Amino acid sequence: MAEGELVGQRVVRIDSRAKATGEARYTADLTLPRMLHAKVLRSPHAHARILNIDTSKAERLPGVKAVVTGKDAAGVKWGVFRYTRDQELLPAEKVRYVGEDVAAVAALDEETALEALSLIDVEYDVLPAVFDPLEAMQEGAPQIHDHVENNVNIHVPIEVGDVDRAFQEAYLVREDRFSDTEYTYCQTEPYAVLVNYDSNGNLEIWTPNASPHTKAKALSNLLKMPLAKVKVRKISTGGAFGGRSDIFPGEFIAALLAIKAGRPVKMVYTREESFTSVRQAHSMVVDLKTGVTEDGRFLANEMKVVLDGGAYSSTGPIAVSVPFLVWEETYRLHNVRFNGYRVFTNKPVRGMYRCHGRSFMGGLGMQLDMIAEELSIDPAEIRLRNALRTGETQVTGSRIISCGLTEAIEKATETSGWKEKRGKLPYSRGIGMGASGMMVGFPMGIRGGSAALLKFNEDGGCTLISGVVDNGQGNESMVVQIAADVLGMKMEDINLVSSDSEITPLDQGAYSQASTFVSGNAARGAAVDAREQILNIASDMLDATPGELDLKDGQVFVKHRPEWNVWLGKVIRKALLDNTPVVGRGSYMPKVDLRREWVSNPKGQHAGTFSFGAVVAEVEVDTETGQVRVTNVTGAHDCGFAINPMAVEGQLEGSVASGGVGASLLEEHSWDGGQMLNATMLEYKVPLSVDMPQITPIIVETVDPEGPFGAKEAGLAGSMNMFQAVGNAIYDALGVWIKEFPITPDKVLQALEEKDPES
Amino acid sequence: MERQLIQLKVNGEERDVVVSPNETLVEVLRDRLELTGTKMGCGEGACGTCTVLLDGKPVRSCLTLAVEVQGQEIVTIEGLAEGAELHPVQEAFMEHGAIQCGFCSPGMILTGKALLDENPHPTEEGVRRAISGVVCRCTGYAKIVEAIMAAADAL
Ligand code: FES
Ligand code: FES
Repeated sequence: MAEGELVGQRVVRIDSRAKATGEARYTADLTLPRMLHAKVLRSPHAHARILNIDTSKAERLPGVKAVVTGKDAAGVKWGVFRYTRDQELLPAEKVRYVGEDVAAVAALDEETALEALSLIDVEYDVLPAVFDPLEAMQEGAPQIHDHVENNVNIHVPIEVGDVDRAFQEAYLVREDRFSDTEYTYCQTEPYAVLVNYDSNGNLEIWTPNASPHTKAKALSNLLKMPLAKVKVRKISTGGAFGGRSDIFPGEFIAALLAIKAGRPVKMVYTREESFTSVRQAHSMVVDLKTGVTEDGRFLANEMKVVLDGGAYSSTGPIAVSVPFLVWEETYRLHNVRFNGYRVFTNKPVRGMYRCHGRSFMGGLGMQLDMIAEELSIDPAEIRLRNALRTGETQVTGSRIISCGLTEAIEKATETSGWKEKRGKLPYSRGIGMGASGMMVGFPMGIRGGSAALLKFNEDGGCTLISGVVDNGQGNESMVVQIAADVLGMKMEDINLVSSDSEITPLDQGAYSQASTFVSGNAARGAAVDAREQILNIASDMLDATPGELDLKDGQVFVKHRPEWNVWLGKVIRKALLDNTPVVGRGSYMPKVDLRREWVSNPKGQHAGTFSFGAVVAEVEVDTETGQVRVTNVTGAHDCGFAINPMAVEGQLEGSVASGGVGASLLEEHSWDGGQMLNATMLEYKVPLSVDMPQITPIIVETVDPEGPFGAKEAGLAGSMNMFQAVGNAIYDALGVWIKEFPITPDKVLQALEEKDPES
Repeated sequence: MERQLIQLKVNGEERDVVVSPNETLVEVLRDRLELTGTKMGCGEGACGTCTVLLDGKPVRSCLTLAVEVQGQEIVTIEGLAEGAELHPVQEAFMEHGAIQCGFCSPGMILTGKALLDENPHPTEEGVRRAISGVVCRCTGYAKIVEAIMAAADAL
């Protein structure tokens, strides 16, 4: 195939065979000689001082090889940012949520470890706790961290233009509050970690992750070990969705145990622990005030969000900024005020979830429909009037180099039959839409780029070494498809070594939808470099200039005389003899403003590029039970260019499930104070095959000038759009606005009751 | 608890294992027989990732005691392919992009196979119902349903 022929094809992913045969290894599948099994003792209290921990009985239990508590952790605190170092991964002084790690045991088997936990005596001084972020912000609320007054963990204020004056000039102003409860990733693979520590001081870690390099750096800081000694290995990961991003107590504790015992330690969480003691999605309260002109264009916008962050910072500054970012990445804003607060409560720690925010994004989309209705403008039209376009600059300074938002809105409405259906379906059936823009990456300093190497073997085959991380999205296959395309090779002739912090170069990780754009670009660069080297060497052999040569199916040939050719293996051998072995090198750093900072300087180019999408959803409501069913979804996504259309569709379909059915209608945690009441998969409802609508994915290609072959990212806008589309479709069906997510049957019935108390 | 020696017939092989009476089939398969293709996503009967075939029928191996299944034919994902030749359902999952993170795939594929053995021409609705006990968080099920329908055509 010639360059540009393999990309764009619906290829079978390189990782799928091992996954179809059960051969793919996930962390819990691994075993090492002399391996121990570990379990963690967890806090039963939401807020308590640890007065004393007596582990002596546990230590004496036969089969127990190591016990650790906060004393072994030496008081080091973890935080993603320098200014958020507030979490002792094994606390010595205080616990701040039910399920927090207090002590851990490594033993010959799990039963012994569990028995040992029951022999540990912990003396607590129970403190008053707070579970609601609005209460936690009040004067006199229990203070969760000594250094944080009113429990406000992060406050991001952003203001551009003259907001107050613009509101005065607006033709129409609307104010609404939207909110949601906590929900969670619920990846099918529960959290697990395996650590091996050898007598030369090498620490090896296997754990599901979105970036081995980030995990390695954190552990090297926490354990005060050189980065080269901390080796996070490649392992299959059973889904991430933002929930495998930063460092968790599990890997730190397993490392402490492995070092102490001098033996490998494996720790596999129960489903309950995966719910309570890793990460969840934030709940939010969103106050939205919007002023528009008579023809529905934004004039003044104000948003205040309060996020329940749980007990520690985690990725807090990012999480609290996302509502603002997605807003400015979608619409043309002029005068805007944003106040984002992330507040500590005595609940488990919250992280990023698929760019989270059913409340803010659902809210933005629903309020826009309310405004459209008051102004008698079609919801699609009001979106088109405010939608950003290629070449425009977002309100805090990010230039948009490719934008298919308009096209996505138009295609989704056209294909779904929007005009014929909107407002015209019988009562209890409705149609709604949503649209959004999405950053492809964000400024991550030295960790924001990716590099790749490509080395050729004397038989003409090659190995691509890339830091790219795959949590299921298809990123591994994507880099191989790109390299194979450039080199005119078959995908199966390129072996991939990836995602190992020791071997593979630094990569930003599977964060913020950046893999295709950043890691894909680096892989492409490595392939282009190797190709140039090959053509240069072959030009001597074929007596032609490199420009006259092409490389395809393992042959280098003269373009206008293909019968003049040489086998690639021969070129590689010549390169070896000439002492110029073929090693391709590529790297990519997105063009972002590195001075941009989440809290202190939220302006400048935020991401290298942005992706866009629009969705139209149809629902059917059972007005007796309040049950909402999403029946049809048409999702259009501007992915720049679809390297593998099948993978792009798969991402979109996945977001319809998690965003459109799960987050919009089903998923939430229930609590008794700080105690999670539904920490099982029997009670935490996720979408099943029978809950899913018919999905029509539409790929919009804008061919991004920076992306590899024009590619950006695949499908994340899907969930962001589904929240809006479902909320709006329910209004179209029933004439009620439900402003609290998830939209469960009881909320539907209550809204119907309020609308018509007679019924 | 008293351990006992039992015989299990797994993927056509007779295996002797010493187990406790309360050991679940998923534990025995994974920990004692090193058949880690069978996953354990919840251990409480809710996710279906532990699905194996017992005399051709899909069961949740986390709710099945190992001592109870002596004498029955157990098939795990490792036993589906004939050497290098994959089962058509496996092929279809690959061809149709039905595998993302892959953690649900063993349970999904076995459930799909059991369905097609029983009903070679299921409706789309029938496929959706058959796999409704296996959770997938990645794919939105669309391509999984497509793959099983395509395997039905291929068989
Ligand atoms: S592990 Fe058996 S159903 Fe989840
Ligand atoms: S592919 Fe990830 S859970 Fe199904």
